[in-house]
Amino acid sequence: MILNRRSLMTTALTLGAMKAFPGLSFAQARPLVFATFTGSWEEAHKAVLVPAFRKANADAAIVLDPMLSVDQIAKINAAKANPPIDVMLHDPGPALVAIGQDLAEPYPVEKSAHYKDLIAEAQEPMGPAPFFQVVGLTYNPEAIKTPPTSWADLWKPEFKGRVGITNLNSTLGTGWLVEIAKMRGGSEANVDPGFKALEELKPNLAAVAANPGALATLFQQGQIDISPGNFNAIQILKARGVPVEFVAPKEGAIAFKTTIHIVKNSPNRELAFKLIEAALTPEVQTTLMNPPYLIVPTNSKVTMGGEIARVLAKDTAELKQKFVFQDWKKINEQRSAWIERFNREIKI
Amino acid sequence: MGAAPASRDVTSYGMGLAAPLALFFLLFFVAPLLQLLWLSLHNDTAGLHWGLGQYLHFLTDPFSLGVLGSTLLLGAEVTAVCLLLGFPIAWLYQRVGPKLQTIIILIVLLPLLTSVVVRTFAWIVILGRQGIVNATLQSLGIIDTPLKLLYTQFGVVIALAQVQMPLMTLPLITALGRIDPNLDDASCSLGAGSWRTFFRIVLPLSLPGVIAGCTLTYAAAITAFITQSLIGGGQMLFMPMYLYQQASTLQNWPFAAAISIIFLLAVLAVVSVFTTLGRLSRGYGGA
Repeated sequence: MILNRRSLMTTALTLGAMKAFPGLSFAQARPLVFATFTGSWEEAHKAVLVPAFRKANADAAIVLDPMLSVDQIAKINAAKANPPIDVMLHDPGPALVAIGQDLAEPYPVEKSAHYKDLIAEAQEPMGPAPFFQVVGLTYNPEAIKTPPTSWADLWKPEFKGRVGITNLNSTLGTGWLVEIAKMRGGSEANVDPGFKALEELKPNLAAVAANPGALATLFQQGQIDISPGNFNAIQILKARGVPVEFVAPKEGAIAFKTTIHIVKNSPNRELAFKLIEAALTPEVQTTLMNPPYLIVPTNSKVTMGGEIARVLAKDTAELKQKFVFQDWKKINEQRSAWIERFNREIKI
Repeated sequence: MGAAPASRDVTSYGMGLAAPLALFFLLFFVAPLLQLLWLSLHNDTAGLHWGLGQYLHFLTDPFSLGVLGSTLLLGAEVTAVCLLLGFPIAWLYQRVGPKLQTIIILIVLLPLLTSVVVRTFAWIVILGRQGIVNATLQSLGIIDTPLKLLYTQFGVVIALAQVQMPLMTLPLITALGRIDPNLDDASCSLGAGSWRTFFRIVLPLSLPGVIAGCTLTYAAAITAFITQSLIGGGQMLFMPMYLYQQASTLQNWPFAAAISIIFLLAVLAVVSVFTTLGRLSRGYGGA
């Protein structure tokens, strides 16, 4: 072989391209790619789920690629035939979008050892829910001495200028609005009463945060004393010494299913199934339930303990009773109209 | 010139060296931009039906136009604040000794060395209900109840002005440095007061720097998604957040694409006004 400048250049370029676009070369041999969420989810999955999966599957190669649901959907849509992700994780709204766009593979329920142990609400044939996210009332116990008990407490005159909410961009904001509407006689199909209630809430509103994460900052800065909040996010704040408490309102805490799906046309279908199986096991779910993660389990074989048993539910029966699940199919139908309306009407 | 075909014209230059960058831009800037334009010309989210529906929707909707207007206004306010605060610093820089100059340049550059997110969070701490501003005013007895500073237009303008300040100050420092200090002395010796000298000599000669600084600050301020959403909150809607909402939460890509194209054109219009002013000022400065 004669080495001239041209052939060297070509080789270098090819090697460079293979490095830059690994998908070009060995599409079939890439490790399992799991798109988890960023932040505490990634930490929890890296520390607990991934080791459990690798132990059960002879150290199979796995890569965590944390990103938002919408980014997962966009990335898979861009390369449907050879998706860059094998397992995706979604909130209820985006999950329905992904399924609607034919991006998810049906979960092989009959092959699964743990699917039947999940509580009924978590059994989703297009991708089961290994975890719940729970939304209730968050308050600052230093400023508010009597713990709130109901969503209606947010309207109390003593909380004038102390209430924080988020806009409808987030699952939390949208779910909360639906719950408020329900409290006032509305439903997933009719949130008018919710918007009326928001109008009445305006004197109490100190802040409309752009995302749930920003609410945490507002608590830290004393900008707000009470808000709807995510159980997990609050536990993280609490662990850092911020004076916050979580309470499930008597109307029921809003529970969102976080579902996990095998991506359609995934080259790693079998490993993807194994990873999801690992996420459903009582062992993984128990570890994730304990501090510092405090993620609400969905496997009925997990014995509730710690903070979750104290604040949320002692067992699955109580959990079912205290949690409210929402119909996100209905919510998704009108969500864009609600966001538009929120944009226009909520100015403080 | 051009006597023999073999001899090269020394005043012309080959485009060959610019080719790699041009190719890069073509691939990663022009092509996506065209794709964006293509996407925005569809009436449905699936991108099947052609039409100008998205543009019509935006341009006939008072709410959307309001968002565009308030974003452009925000940019103007931030630019004005930056100019008013940045000019004296740049002026001072040219008149102090080398030691102080190092300190000034360090202070100006320091914000650029920390991430925008960090700077913005600092502003949350400063402007918050129990923040530095409110605590000071309360302890001085000037106010009884804390002022609402966070999540207001005022807060966004102040925070953005600080975050984008280097973009204004650096071009100003360069422009002021190019002015011959003898001109100041000449003006004074001919009987002009210091204000007259400033307005008739220093300001006109520094205009190119002012224009450059304003263009940079303006463009950075209106597109500052992080600062706008963290300090402005969820109910103050500016174009970047509007765009994000449509693309990301609602998956309405064609409308989001139309918003970006309209935003791009609006910004281009503002920037071209700045450039025209710049061209005029060059004539002025050379005169």
